[in-house]
Amino acid sequence: MQRIYVHPLPVRIWHWANALGFIALILTGVQIRYVDLIGLMSFRAAVSLHNWVGWVLVGNFFIWLGFYLFTDKIRVYHPELSPVKHFRDSFRQLQYYGYGIFKGDPNPHHLSAYHKFNALQSMAYQIIMLLLVPLQFVTGVLLWDLKRFSGAVEFFGGVRVVDTVHVLLFIFFTAFILVHPYLASLGHTPSAHFKAMITGYEEVDE
Amino acid sequence: MLLAAALMFAGPASAALTDGDNACLGCHGQEGLQKTFGKGESLPLRVDGAAFEGSVHAPLGCAACHSDVELKTHPAAGKSFDSVRAYSVAKAAVCEQCHEDAFKQHEGSVHAKRMREGSALAPTCTGCHGAHAVTPKTAYQTCVGCHSAALAAHQQWLPNAALHHEVVSCAACHAPAALRMVDLRLHDPATKTWAAEKAGEPWFEKLARSVDANGNGLDARELLDLVKRINPAGSAAPKAFRGRIELRSNVEAHRLSDKAAAIRACDVCHREGAEPFRNVVVSVAGPDGRPLRHAAQQEILGAASAVVSLPEFYAIGGTRSPLLDVLFVVALLGGAGFPLGHMAVRWLFRKYRASRE
Repeated sequence: MQRIYVHPLPVRIWHWANALGFIALILTGVQIRYVDLIGLMSFRAAVSLHNWVGWVLVGNFFIWLGFYLFTDKIRVYHPELSPVKHFRDSFRQLQYYGYGIFKGDPNPHHLSAYHKFNALQSMAYQIIMLLLVPLQFVTGVLLWDLKRFSGAVEFFGGVRVVDTVHVLLFIFFTAFILVHPYLASLGHTPSAHFKAMITGYEEVDE
Repeated sequence: MLLAAALMFAGPASAALTDGDNACLGCHGQEGLQKTFGKGESLPLRVDGAAFEGSVHAPLGCAACHSDVELKTHPAAGKSFDSVRAYSVAKAAVCEQCHEDAFKQHEGSVHAKRMREGSALAPTCTGCHGAHAVTPKTAYQTCVGCHSAALAAHQQWLPNAALHHEVVSCAACHAPAALRMVDLRLHDPATKTWAAEKAGEPWFEKLARSVDANGNGLDARELLDLVKRINPAGSAAPKAFRGRIELRSNVEAHRLSDKAAAIRACDVCHREGAEPFRNVVVSVAGPDGRPLRHAAQQEILGAASAVVSLPEFYAIGGTRSPLLDVLFVVALLGGAGFPLGHMAVRWLFRKYRASRE
């Protein structure tokens, strides 16, 4: 096995801070929304923690954005410009996760420092990081102080619209946070990708 | 002689008031008229005729509250009081003649307690409602008249304090024993004020009744219909209902508690099925400022269609959408089920994979 440096330190810091933050936001979000069903903490404490963690993650997002904008690592997010190749690779990856992996077929994606995402990940993370996460932050900030941002809330169609978008994204991220660790366990060993996100080095076949 | 004097000083009479009231205003509309009490304090006796004409008591006329005035002996036979305060306290008995229910509530209030303790700051009826210009002010306008530091005090501990002050009636928290409701008031973005009916042009109650086919309160579909009828297609600045937490009976607003007993726990309101959200009305302001209300069903608050019919009202917990709850459960089941299912299939194929290796 060959070790290649795939996850630079700022990305690893961002990743784990983001992971812990999202878990905290989901738990406090559930507490806020279902105070009649769950008693992890008081409503007031949940709101306060949710707000603080939310702001930390907004700042954390800019660490991620700044790192990629000012280094050549941005290439890992470059979209595949050939639709034919993109959909062919996506189909192969789907076929692998849905069938080949059970038979023991090799992963069709060959990881490298500038090509760490497979076709499905590439598409998913572009949507998540450039659309869904910012949208969740924007709606969260608006809900944080509706009076201060009343003009923006009105622009987006009213507080109900803003909240509905925030909750829909919360639902999506809840499913994501459950599925993501499982998919990360599908490396050549169950812990390979977890170790890589700590050390920065992925192990690949030579 | 009194009438002659009144006519002598009389300004332009108001057509909306009776001749008797205009006669009173003949003297009491004059600047400088005042009465001196025992301790040397002076009570201005001038009444702003226009303000009285616009007050909710105008139809009752002067004599309704001042029935102790004998025209033959007025003003010479006027009672004397030690102070303006003593006069205000004594005059509260006049209010009680009609507002007995409010008085009963007030008896248990912190204001009444302070008054019994002899506080000179405890408000009498006129302290909150005014004397001759009684209009349907909001509770907030009334309360901050004295409690001007209320917002700053709430900002010390209440998240989104300014928003709470805007959408929650003071008494909703400070009269904790009272029953509350959600009042969905029509707001006009063009004027940035509450939409109001003009005098002589009633439309809201008739429209709400026509939409509420069964007369059992507006359901989600009927509310959507109402909103569409209020805002015909192409409305440049569509009016929208904004929710407020109000008391079901304003009479109960008189039973204000000591602030230590006021509601501070967020989840009294911010939970599904919370008491204020079980009673819902839609309303517009009437010509005199008092709300014209029509009942609505509780379910409208969390309906999927509320994104269109109530875009400007949302309260954590109280307006929770059952549809989003279902989606959340599906996401939880899917998020947990996919790994478990995938792992199970991998386990079933383990011998096949081993044989290939």
